[in-house]
Amino acid sequence: MRYIAFVKMAEDVGEPPAALVEAMGKEMGEAFAAGWMVDAGGLYPPAQSTEIRVTGGSITVTDGPYAEVKEVIGGYSILEMQSQQEAVAAARRVAELHREHWPEWEGSVEVRRISGPDEGPPSQG
Amino acid sequence: MGSDAASAVSAVWRLESARLVAGLTRMTNDVGLAEDLAQDALLAALEQWPADGIPKSPGAWLMAVAKRRAVDHFRRAETLRRRTAELGHELEETHVPDLDAAVDHIEDDVLRLIFLTCHPALPPESRAALTLRLVGGLTTQEIARGFLVKDATVGQRISRAKKSLAGADFELPVGQERERRLADVMSVIYLIFNEGYSATAGDDWMRPDLCLEGVRLARMLAHLEPGEPEVHGLQALLEIQASRVRARTREDGTPVLLEDQDRRLWDQLLIRRGLAALERAERLGKPVGPYVVQAAIAACHARARTAGETDWARIAGLYDVLAEVAPGAVVEVNRAVAHGRAHGAQRGLAVLDEVDERALAQSHLLPTVRGDLLARAGRASEAAAAFREAASLTRNESERKLLLDRADEIS
Repeated sequence: MRYIAFVKMAEDVGEPPAALVEAMGKEMGEAFAAGWMVDAGGLYPPAQSTEIRVTGGSITVTDGPYAEVKEVIGGYSILEMQSQQEAVAAARRVAELHREHWPEWEGSVEVRRISGPDEGPPSQG
Repeated sequence: MGSDAASAVSAVWRLESARLVAGLTRMTNDVGLAEDLAQDALLAALEQWPADGIPKSPGAWLMAVAKRRAVDHFRRAETLRRRTAELGHELEETHVPDLDAAVDHIEDDVLRLIFLTCHPALPPESRAALTLRLVGGLTTQEIARGFLVKDATVGQRISRAKKSLAGADFELPVGQERERRLADVMSVIYLIFNEGYSATAGDDWMRPDLCLEGVRLARMLAHLEPGEPEVHGLQALLEIQASRVRARTREDGTPVLLEDQDRRLWDQLLIRRGLAALERAERLGKPVGPYVVQAAIAACHARARTAGETDWARIAGLYDVLAEVAPGAVVEVNRAVAHGRAHGAQRGLAVLDEVDERALAQSHLLPTVRGDLLARAGRASEAAAAFREAASLTRNESERKLLLDRADEIS
């Protein structure tokens, strides 16, 4: 089963300390070597993003940054696991590394299952 | 919290067990003891994590506990040895191994462990079971479900395998021996993948995904042995084959031929990873073997956005190479298909005429392909006869119907 993990944090959180960058690099390297991480990437800040929104039958296009956004997605990784628990265990390590190497950081790691390739599209409930 | 911690323990186990068992095997030089120590650590986690919470670095926690157990084990053994020695000769220096010094090079240890679990002294089905258990971190029950055999059967295979490996060399093989052993490792991984790939649809949801585990092991091996083209070839082949999982069967479980598959269902992430692995294999600039060639053929299909865009000339050339490096009747039949598509049905039939029919006597493969080539060559009545012959050989009902329909259509 395939999962995506998002790391979410306040927009003005600043640059991560070198120790975290190094620890995350090591963790990700091991995850790729173990074969269960299949893709990962960091995202540029919302200031450089563009939103295309459909409301009331019309489309509006808005460039970032956006006001009143509490948390933004800073990065993602795609994991292939036999269970959600395994994906959660891996995501928890990412949270631990942030806590250890960047004590003032606050944010979250969200784990979501990706539909397919082993199943049909999810039913929206 | 209790059940959270318990499920966290089994999840952490899956992520960490290969490194844990590999490191412990290095320390103790005994794969059976190593797994016992790792299991002891797992039990300790099941006792302590629900109360104390999940440790910051679960893998390091498990390793620390297992190492303490290892020290206890060797102390007990040492005490026993001393008592025995005191009865007889003089005391030697301590026999407790330097466990800290042994934890270096964990990557090499994992590679050693894979060589060990795929050891030629073991029967093939035991190699697969032991590899899934010690490298993949699956439980005996999960392996049994994966292979659709009884738990006890897998349990016996694993315990016999561990016994046969007592005293086996944990050092990495070198030279030609390493090449041979690496070929064994690759065939075990391929077998695990195919066990999942050829599984019938509509299975028990508890059945662990052996395809996924096979691709994962191939990725691991590619990281551990990056200088060997075939290892990247195996990874590329499995990534690309796995990319078609959703397209290759209908909802009722009947198979869909490659050319008829809905290519929008192909998993582009896996295709990208497969093509990248193939590129790594080719960039090494060394002679390639059957996995790289098969991956290159799979890549030709993966790159074609529609069946009509398939580069059959290139595929035919690759089958010529494959027939050299891995000769066999099935390869020849596929080579005939490729030449038929690339250079016309006559050329395909010419290749097919050379195939040793006895090797495929009970299979419908040969007459099916002959029928297809004859139909393309406009020889309708011969084609219909070939399809009817194929229909009489297949044991699959829906396939028989399909072949008879084709025979009727053409005549």
